Amino acid sequence: MQELRLERVTKQYGEKTAVNGISFTAHPGEIFGLIGANGAGKTTTMRMVLGLIYPDGGEILYGGKTYSKELKGRFGYLPEERGLYPKVKVSDQIIYLAELRGMKRSAADRALKDWLERFGVSEYYSKKVEELSKGNQQKIQFIAAVIHNPDYLILDEAFSGLDPVNVELLKSMIASLRDEGKTILFSSHRMEHVEELCQNVCILDRSNAVLQGSLRDIKAKFPKERVTLATERPMEGLERVPGVLSVTAHANGYDLRIDSEAAAQRVLKAAMETNTVTRFELKEPSLNDIFIKTIGGNRSHE
Amino acid sequence: MNKLGTVIRFTYGSQIKRKSFLISTLVFALIISLLANLPSIIEMFNSDKGPDKVGYVAGDQAVLEHMQSYYTSKPEAEIEIVPVSSEEEARRLVEEKEIKGYLLASGETNVNGVPSFQYKSQDTMPTIIGKLSDGLQFANQTIARQGIGLTDDQISKLFAPVALEPVQINNAATDGDGGKTESEVMLAYILVYVLLFMLYIGVIGYGNTVATEITAEKSSRVMELLVSSVSPLTQMFGKIIGICLLGLTQIALFLAVGAANIALMGDAEFFSELNLNLSEIDPMLIVYFLIFYLLGYFIYATVFAAAGSLVSRTEEVAQVIMPVTLLIVVVFFIAFYGLQNPNAPIIVTLSYVPFFSPMLMFLRIGMSDPAVWEIWLSILLSVAGTYAMGWLAAKIYRTGVLMYGKLPSFKELRKAMKAYDM
Repeated sequence: MQELRLERVTKQYGEKTAVNGISFTAHPGEIFGLIGANGAGKTTTMRMVLGLIYPDGGEILYGGKTYSKELKGRFGYLPEERGLYPKVKVSDQIIYLAELRGMKRSAADRALKDWLERFGVSEYYSKKVEELSKGNQQKIQFIAAVIHNPDYLILDEAFSGLDPVNVELLKSMIASLRDEGKTILFSSHRMEHVEELCQNVCILDRSNAVLQGSLRDIKAKFPKERVTLATERPMEGLERVPGVLSVTAHANGYDLRIDSEAAAQRVLKAAMETNTVTRFELKEPSLNDIFIKTIGGNRSHE
Repeated sequence: MNKLGTVIRFTYGSQIKRKSFLISTLVFALIISLLANLPSIIEMFNSDKGPDKVGYVAGDQAVLEHMQSYYTSKPEAEIEIVPVSSEEEARRLVEEKEIKGYLLASGETNVNGVPSFQYKSQDTMPTIIGKLSDGLQFANQTIARQGIGLTDDQISKLFAPVALEPVQINNAATDGDGGKTESEVMLAYILVYVLLFMLYIGVIGYGNTVATEITAEKSSRVMELLVSSVSPLTQMFGKIIGICLLGLTQIALFLAVGAANIALMGDAEFFSELNLNLSEIDPMLIVYFLIFYLLGYFIYATVFAAAGSLVSRTEEVAQVIMPVTLLIVVVFFIAFYGLQNPNAPIIVTLSYVPFFSPMLMFLRIGMSDPAVWEIWLSILLSVAGTYAMGWLAAKIYRTGVLMYGKLPSFKELRKAMKAYDM
């Protein structure tokens, strides 16, 4: 029982409301996505979950109980702004951070060697952090967050600054931690990562939760407005089909934006009449589209 | 509280492995060795030079002879008077470093017919002037004596030596059998002087380290990880204690280097010349030094820690710790005044005030003789002050460590402080 539950949590900085009545529940064995533009309140929410700052209103419950100092050792935190001692050896500082979270020295040492091996970077054990590349510092930072086998993992922009190979590596590790039953709070700007990892998300916009729930439900709420079309010969006049908003030509076909699902049928029909269709797909909206639409839509109301 | 131990060990361990720490320790040890051997080094440069030569431009022969006989009669000739034919010649000799300077008689004479002299040399502040004056005085007295016609017996009566030995009066209540001897006072003076310097350098140096370390943790953002895993209070005091141990290690090292030098280089002669006996050092003075060093370090270190937590970049540290540093400098200068006047009312009063007491009460113990209750009152007040300061600093620290950006104003800080429990 280690679910994380936020109930109408509010945080105010002076006159400014940083987080305005957010509620959600992240379950064990789940990666909960927290999405929002810069300054939407993601980091503040995470800091409140970590007990770094206290909410002005509402409640944060950890497995049904409120925050207490004993919880500190059960958190793993990967802050958005990476922080390690540049001039201290990897082994010294990771073991130190693990000890502060309540681990024994010898156990921390073993766990560190284990993790370095998993990342395939055992030779960094006795290197100073400043000698490592940014991507590799990132791995060390991740190890610092997970070495003590925490119940709650808070990952703020986990993939920023990593190359695609390392993103995949880290993704698989996060997924395996999820399968071990950890409660993971995950934030990112990259919607495709969230889409891949999270079942439930909460979209924050200027301190408010504007959209939340399971990814499937959210997507179902939004109409399918994109079509991918590929034909044997070039197609012309697609933009004249009623309901087509825009056409983007690619090397292997076309991306179309349409105003309704009915328009998709008209596009298919038009293509079949004049050409041979090799591929046709009516796509469900990507999280990216939903995000831009939700937040952009809110902005235009003002 | 084993987390406190973890923070202390990490702070101490990572600091002591630093290259900068090793280098500064080495440089300081070298300087100490150099200073300890300074008397013998100076001796080495002086030994082959013989007496300073001073020209005497042609004039009163009697004065010349009397001066020459005065200097040659001394067991170790410090000055040799050389007759020179003219001032031009004398100038040339000075240029060629043949003589240090020369004496030039002016027209005026005193009642004994001895002329007034000018001493001309290239030195800005000739140290030789006192010795020359002694020689001239001797010549003057000899000439005067001959004029009056005193017998040798009468002369020896006139010049019979009178002893004058300074003895400091002690607090009569504490012990009746007389105060500190001259050697004791001298020793206490040197010891207090050295220890005051150590207190000053230690508090400023290690206080600075505390502030810089904390700001560095903030600027490298490792602070967020630390604060999320251990209470800020534990973290702050762990840091302060860790660096304190580092400082004590360094001081112990320096003392060892100093002691080794004194033992090896046979400076004992130098000390006995100064009429000092190292075995006369009061062990209580060393104990008090430790107590007041720790009190001074802790009260200032908490302020340094609070200051360091307010800024986010190491470049800004100097700006916030400036007022604290200035305060220490002021206390240090007051202490120097107190070295001469340990019983001045201002020194006595300030020796009870936290921030001032570590240096000033220690100085009073060394140079004067305060009652035991006075010492303990001062220690008690200082402990209370440190406790209050520690509490306030911890509050500021708790608030400051997560504030990034510009230096917060007092109003913002007070508001933010209310938002946190400890």
